[in-house]
Amino acid sequence: MIVIRDLAKRYGPFAAVGGIELDVAGGEIHGFLGPNGAGKTTTIRMIAGLLKPTRGTIAIDGHDLAREPEAAKRALGFVPDRPFLYEKLTAGEFLRFHAGLYGLDGDGTTGRIAELLDLFELRLWEGELIESFSHGMKQRLVMCSAFLHRPRAVVIDEPMVGLDPRGARLMKDVFRAMSRKGVAILMSTHTLEVAQEMCDRISIILGGKIIARGTVEDLRALAGGEDEHLTPVFLKLTGGSALQEIDEAL
Amino acid sequence: MTRSFPYLLLPVLWGARNRARRREKGDALRAVLFGGIALVVAAVIFAVVFWLTWQLLFYEELGDYLVRLGLSWLFLTFLSFLAFSALVTSLSTFFLSEDLRLLLAAPVPRDRLFYSRYAKTAGQASWMVVTFLLPVLLAVGLARCAPPGYYLAALLTVVPFVLIPVALGSVATLFLVSIFPARRARDVLMLMGLLFAVALVLLLRVLRPERLLSVQSLPDVTGFFATLQTPVTPLLPSFWAGETLFTALGGGVDWLHAGALWTTALAFTVFARMSFARQYFAAWSKAQEARKARFTRLRLLEVLVSRAPLRPPVRSLLLKDLKIFLRDTTQWSQLLLLLALALVYLYNFRVLDLERIPYMSGVVKNVYAFVNLGLAAFVLSAVAVRFVFPAVSAEGPAFWIVRSSPVGMRSFLWSKFWTGLVPILLLALGLTVVSNEFLGAATFLKILSAVAIVVMSVSLVGLAAGMGAKHPRFGAENLTQVAGSYGGIAFMILAVLFIVAVVALLAWPSLAYILHQYRGEPIPPLRQALMAASLLAALALSAVTFWVPMRQGVRALESLG
Repeated sequence: MIVIRDLAKRYGPFAAVGGIELDVAGGEIHGFLGPNGAGKTTTIRMIAGLLKPTRGTIAIDGHDLAREPEAAKRALGFVPDRPFLYEKLTAGEFLRFHAGLYGLDGDGTTGRIAELLDLFELRLWEGELIESFSHGMKQRLVMCSAFLHRPRAVVIDEPMVGLDPRGARLMKDVFRAMSRKGVAILMSTHTLEVAQEMCDRISIILGGKIIARGTVEDLRALAGGEDEHLTPVFLKLTGGSALQEIDEAL
Repeated sequence: MTRSFPYLLLPVLWGARNRARRREKGDALRAVLFGGIALVVAAVIFAVVFWLTWQLLFYEELGDYLVRLGLSWLFLTFLSFLAFSALVTSLSTFFLSEDLRLLLAAPVPRDRLFYSRYAKTAGQASWMVVTFLLPVLLAVGLARCAPPGYYLAALLTVVPFVLIPVALGSVATLFLVSIFPARRARDVLMLMGLLFAVALVLLLRVLRPERLLSVQSLPDVTGFFATLQTPVTPLLPSFWAGETLFTALGGGVDWLHAGALWTTALAFTVFARMSFARQYFAAWSKAQEARKARFTRLRLLEVLVSRAPLRPPVRSLLLKDLKIFLRDTTQWSQLLLLLALALVYLYNFRVLDLERIPYMSGVVKNVYAFVNLGLAAFVLSAVAVRFVFPAVSAEGPAFWIVRSSPVGMRSFLWSKFWTGLVPILLLALGLTVVSNEFLGAATFLKILSAVAIVVMSVSLVGLAAGMGAKHPRFGAENLTQVAGSYGGIAFMILAVLFIVAVVALLAWPSLAYILHQYRGEPIPPLRQALMAASLLAALALSAVTFWVPMRQGVRALESLG
């Protein structure tokens, strides 16, 4: 569903992403992990059509993002890490605006909006300006908009930031339900427990290159450890010697 | 060790230093342009005030009286500016600044926080007034050959003169925030300020000050001065400042009024500090409270837009832009000022007395029709740089929503173009048609002007939308900053060049045509061809001015990274 080939992004001499390959099949939840500055958000922004790659191709639901941007974007739902929205619109108005952007203008739109507002527990705030929303509420509203047009693939940057435990639980349930319906989900996160619990496969990016890929078991084997948690595996693969220094500094 | 209050102002200074070091594209052009304009304005103010003061020397006692009255009026005007500016600025510095959370969470004594914010408010609220005062006071001093003590007195007068309204403004803001939420208070203040400016503009124009220049209205002059004397009261700091400086001009020291200024400034500062010590934290906490936003639903707008024959994405963009614009007080309130300026513009044509030169009035009217076309186009450029140029930047950090959606950048920019074109076209066409009617221009010119302003509106709105897309500033704190950016200035320069070229290309063949009609002579074929070429050149220039920036804008948006 999401197919990435030789994707690279350079900023002058600095290679933020250096030729990565990635496939996320329909129904798969794929975790995208890496330390700060590894190239996760750059990759995700390229997939969402917000950044122009230096080279490489991205295809969503069979549509090349460079050649058929509108068809590719119509098949994609995107949730960014920081939910910047139009503060002077109400939640309902924002969702209707979003529906319009995706060409949804029929009678079913109002029902779909109500359904999603109910699902993400925002129905009571449908008529309130977004400027009065908390970070978590904005994040849930972005999720509503991302799922509104029934995308075939979803890309999410840090899904749990700003969500309370109830919101985080809701999100996990929604992702699982979408996955069962055949939606491909690519999820970048720093919360390794979430990745371990949710993801079918995980890719770890470091210095703009994917250094490991597979199930949690595959990664554990790759790191050569027996620990049941993903954190030590991640630290071993991405270079966790800094932890020792932190311990000393504190 | 606890640092003194100037330490808290260091981030402001460091920020300014870093901005100066990190030069952006267009900084040099902007500095030269704005610096040049500021220097020219200062030089003009200096020259006018110097000449006036010099002239008044010949009228002895009357001259002295007028200098004294002039100083009182000068300070009275600046006092009102300072009072309003202090209200708005203190709202921002004491209640809305992002860094307040950091400072309030730090172990900073409250009185130091107060003094640092008070100094910041005084600086931000007064720099413009002081900049204008400088050439005026310098010119008065030099024209009257004042002793060096005058310049020292000027400095010692301006400081307490600024502090008094700043202290009062800060306390008034504290009071306002205790009643209204901080952001609502800012909206109320902005609206009040704009309404005040609108009233002032209309009043000044309707008074018709040009009558003073005509010989027939000389008997009114004494009445005019009597009116001027009315608001000058010895109870206001502006009067004390004027008196102190007037005495200093003659080499004396007015201890009474200087003392009144300083004691009042210090007393008000102490009063402000005490008020803040008692009320500030409670007021600040109130300003942080989440409130239920009040806003207009704009249902009628939804119904109207839903019936427009547009594709769903374009309709959604249009409705979103209109709602955001109408719900932002800082945006729509500027339309009031625009309306006032448009009324003044039309009023000028209404009272224009061209019949005083009867044998020339026909020619002058027709020439004025082209001046009018140029002026109307200039007004529309000024509106476009404020409302259309920042349209793309107005998406701000939320632009990801449109960019990640299946809406092409071409559709997006065209939607911005149409949203800007319709109101601007109506305004420009209205101004041109009505003013030409008041002017009594020839029918041919009325039609030509109407057609020309429609074509020029399309070109200039296209230029603004395209250049706004090519030079966006998504991180700008407000849209006025976007209009004053490198791209905004470049747009205004190109717009003026375009207007001059089009008016010239239209004026020559039109006036030649009217002249031949008037004389009853046929137009020679070669001249006819040249006239047609001139009109076609105007049309071609308009098409290029629209098309090239729009295309470049779309490309720039598509290659954003």
